[in-house]
Amino acid sequence: MSIRVLNPNAEVLNKSAALHMTINAAKGLQDVLKSNLGPKGTIKMLVGGAGDIKLTKDGNTLLKEMQIQNPTAIMIARTAVAQDDSSGDGTTSTVLFIGELMKQSERCIDEGTHPRFLVDGFEIAKRATLEFLEKFKTPVVIGDTPDKEILKMVARTTLRTKLYEVLADQLTDIIVNAVLCIRKPEEAIDLFMVEIMHMRHKFDVDTRLVEGLVLDHGSRHPDMKRRAENCYILTCNVSLEYDKSEINAGFFYSNAEQREKMVAAERRQVDQRVMKIIELKEKVCSGTDKNFVIINQKGIDPPSLDLLARAGIIALRRAKRRNMERLVLACGGEAVNSVDDLTEDCLGWAGLVYEHVLGEEKYTFVEQVKNPLSCTILIKGPNDHTIAQIKDAVRDGLRSVKNTIEDEAVVLGAGAFEVAARKHLLDNVKRTAKGRAQLGVEAFADALLVIPKTLAENSGLDTQDVIVSLQNEHDQGTVAGLNHHTGDPIDPQMEGIFDNYSVKRQIINSGPVIASQLLLVDEVIRAGRNMRKPA
Amino acid sequence: MREIVTIQVGDFANYIGSHFWNFQDELLGLAEDDTADPIFKNNCMDMDVLYRTGLSHQGAYTYCPRLISIGSQGSLGTLSSSGSLYGDSSSSDASDTLTWKGAVTKLAEKPHEKNLFLKSLSEEGEDDPNIEDKDRVQCLERDVKFWSDFSKVHFHSKSLYELNGTWTDFQNFDNFGVGKEVLSGGFHMEELNDRLRFFVEECDHVQGIQCMVDDSGGFSGVASEFLENIADDYTNIPVLLYSVRDTFSYTDATNQRKLIARSLHDAVSLSKLSTYSSLIVPVGLPSLGGLAPSLCVRDEKNFHSSAVYASAIHSISAPFRFKPAGPISSTTYAAGSLDIGEIIHILAGQRQNMVAILDVSMPAPSLSVSDKANPGGILNSFHALGTEIGDDSEDLYMDESLIFNGALYSGADRASVSQVKDSICNVYDKGLRPKPRPSHLSISLTPIPIPLPFPSIFPTSTSRRGEILADQPLVGPPKGSLEVESVPVMTRLRSSIAIKPFIESRYNNLLRHGMLRGAKGADLLRDWGFGKDEVDDMGEYLSKMLRIFNPSSEMTSDSD
Repeated sequence: MSIRVLNPNAEVLNKSAALHMTINAAKGLQDVLKSNLGPKGTIKMLVGGAGDIKLTKDGNTLLKEMQIQNPTAIMIARTAVAQDDSSGDGTTSTVLFIGELMKQSERCIDEGTHPRFLVDGFEIAKRATLEFLEKFKTPVVIGDTPDKEILKMVARTTLRTKLYEVLADQLTDIIVNAVLCIRKPEEAIDLFMVEIMHMRHKFDVDTRLVEGLVLDHGSRHPDMKRRAENCYILTCNVSLEYDKSEINAGFFYSNAEQREKMVAAERRQVDQRVMKIIELKEKVCSGTDKNFVIINQKGIDPPSLDLLARAGIIALRRAKRRNMERLVLACGGEAVNSVDDLTEDCLGWAGLVYEHVLGEEKYTFVEQVKNPLSCTILIKGPNDHTIAQIKDAVRDGLRSVKNTIEDEAVVLGAGAFEVAARKHLLDNVKRTAKGRAQLGVEAFADALLVIPKTLAENSGLDTQDVIVSLQNEHDQGTVAGLNHHTGDPIDPQMEGIFDNYSVKRQIINSGPVIASQLLLVDEVIRAGRNMRKPA
Repeated sequence: MREIVTIQVGDFANYIGSHFWNFQDELLGLAEDDTADPIFKNNCMDMDVLYRTGLSHQGAYTYCPRLISIGSQGSLGTLSSSGSLYGDSSSSDASDTLTWKGAVTKLAEKPHEKNLFLKSLSEEGEDDPNIEDKDRVQCLERDVKFWSDFSKVHFHSKSLYELNGTWTDFQNFDNFGVGKEVLSGGFHMEELNDRLRFFVEECDHVQGIQCMVDDSGGFSGVASEFLENIADDYTNIPVLLYSVRDTFSYTDATNQRKLIARSLHDAVSLSKLSTYSSLIVPVGLPSLGGLAPSLCVRDEKNFHSSAVYASAIHSISAPFRFKPAGPISSTTYAAGSLDIGEIIHILAGQRQNMVAILDVSMPAPSLSVSDKANPGGILNSFHALGTEIGDDSEDLYMDESLIFNGALYSGADRASVSQVKDSICNVYDKGLRPKPRPSHLSISLTPIPIPLPFPSIFPTSTSRRGEILADQPLVGPPKGSLEVESVPVMTRLRSSIAIKPFIESRYNNLLRHGMLRGAKGADLLRDWGFGKDEVDDMGEYLSKMLRIFNPSSEMTSDSD
């Protein structure tokens, strides 16, 4: 073989060894993530060498924390993480599905089937399953006022797999309200308009939705008010600091006097900008009880802060770039890039602005706004890893609500879809496939069952009992899912267990693609490291 | 006050940073120590430029570097990523999980054991009479696995960032493409931006960002993505960038493919990093043997080489934080205050060159000795810390900035500011060296203090104050922090035609391997996520950097 000539140290694994290596890697990854799945899964606490703690039940986070080295495992992990990036959930399911497809294939291959037939069967089964999903999904009418109940059910299904019930249910309302708050008719939902802010403080059930914005910084002048009502909000991106580097770029000074003059001239320009803002403040606020708050993306130096404080203005500097957009959506007005032509129309409005200090961290709450199109989910937790885990769950919850609104459909959960799809594949699709491709369809159908099986296993139930009773229900024509408390079949519709349509579709789509690619690998070449040894 | 925010990206950058912050910590300690050399009491350095005052959750005041350090996952060793000051009330007891009532699996990595030095910092083992400082120094000489092994600084909880999800082992995190990809997900970037904002927001007037980047692998990709964001968000803040590499990055590539990958990496990295910074200083030699006999550095130890680079970077940064001088203090202890913007401006000069060479003389010779023995010799003691450096003796447009920390006059006597000034001006006045026109000289009387965890790299003939004693034997065990208290260090940043070969070789490599028709590395660049246009832009950028050294630049740029 040519590679041997080029590099005598290169290691070559032949067909069956190569296949078993990839299959084992896929199964290994499946084993790691298996216990994550469902509302009865196990949460994982990862403790690093220096005592750092990470807490996660999210397949996506876990994959990123693992130092995966095996090339097959990396390929699967990348697919699974891509799944998360595009639809926000389903990482664990993807890994399980790919692992199970490989496991089912292994059995057929050991009995002498060529991987090619399996791959053909997968393709047929995949297409049929996607068609079946179209029929099986439950349409949701969104319209102008979406059905809050169904959105809540979807969010709750996701959240309950990440957080314990009381907390999950509390967050469900917050999340649904947050998405409905930022939703604009006829426009795609931009989840970035929901700010997720956290405070290390007290216990986690304090998490709440702020209609308005919470900024993670405060004013930097001792004389500025810490609390103000009826506030005009000026959102701007204007440098209010004296910038020496600008002088550097062009001028040289020959003596100290000239230098002073130059500095004074520079300073004057900044002061003029500040004065224009103060002018506007006087115009809109004088004689009333209204206040004026400026939130700037650029810096504000102490002399400017001084001027503003004397004029009774609250000023915040170096706001997040994204908050410029959020502020305008929350308070109204517009983000200005220059202080020329300032008018009252540029200003937003908030009923209450106040500062909250925790140690060295300051938070500014901008609340009681009119018609907000941006809001903040404020997470409170006693320590960093708890906060991080809630944050992950909130992100997943937000995505699930957004997906539902955009899909205008949901899919019955608790394993109901998988059992139904398998029945469909075996009853109707298998015989349409030619010859040995039927084996591929069958393997695909069996692999689908990994979801209800794992759910049952994680709940401590007997897998086979559960699968048999679920299949019986489906044979009688009722759609049933798994009750993870008792193991009995239940109607997911009644229980309000719904999964995202797009997530399911994505899993069905990407799983077989990766599995097929891996099955068709018939030679693995690696130069440099011995891959038979465990890494 | 003009604050500086420091950013360190990559493992070797963190090694250098660790030494750098040890110097700062030592200076802070010495300034309060009544038994210390009085020169450290009046060091006229404003440490607030680099440090910030904070308040922990427990209500205790903290004083931490204004720093963001990015490293690969697991590179922190025994150091917790949230630092030790902002104590987390968390326990690693699985039953304390508040968010999940179901089962909890705990997967714990084996805790790293603290070495003798780190133990002496924490309470444990402090009072153990059997362990002396000698043992601590020796244990560091024997074994340093992580940069945190020899760090004595407390970091802020937002300072240390571990990059997870790279899914490559360290060996494969070796090119610009992988690094770029890691940050492309957006999550890391958002977190990094938030952390940087935290440090910048509280500054009244940032003078600049000082950034050290391990340029030998994926981290230069990480840094360039981060710097691009910084350039967008903070348009007027100058960025002084040290692109550093350890001696290992110069080992020969094993095959041609790797060779091409590496040369393309170097080219892309230079082009990208210089796009998003104001001044770039390449630092890193294949071997530090050239610094002998004044230093004896073991090349195979990053702990050693990083100490030399850190000393130079520390010395350069001294004039950025001279206290705004009253008339008296300026003349007696320090002179020649600069800020980052100014030094960049001086070095850019007429040509607008933005790649500078770092030279160091450590320990710097005593003024009287070098004046007598070898006129002009004081400036001949410099060693360049970069590679591929040409000759600039004929360069008329050379600009330089020289910084002298803690010069000795003769023996152990410290020189005064005017003595240093005279001595250096003498060299130019006598025409021993063509004087670059707007040359800048900064003088600080404070030498570089040698903290306990500094490696033993001084030759036997070094005295306590870092003077090379002529009457001492040349051979013998190297001296370290226990024998040497401080050393005088002279550094110079120079912007001259000598950097041309450095840029030229990178430009040619990009041309040969990435841009010409049928170039072998074209696919590789595509894998790294660069379209053809972008590669052409990079080539154009590098050629522009080269063109400024061409005397007839105007004409050639028009003709093509």
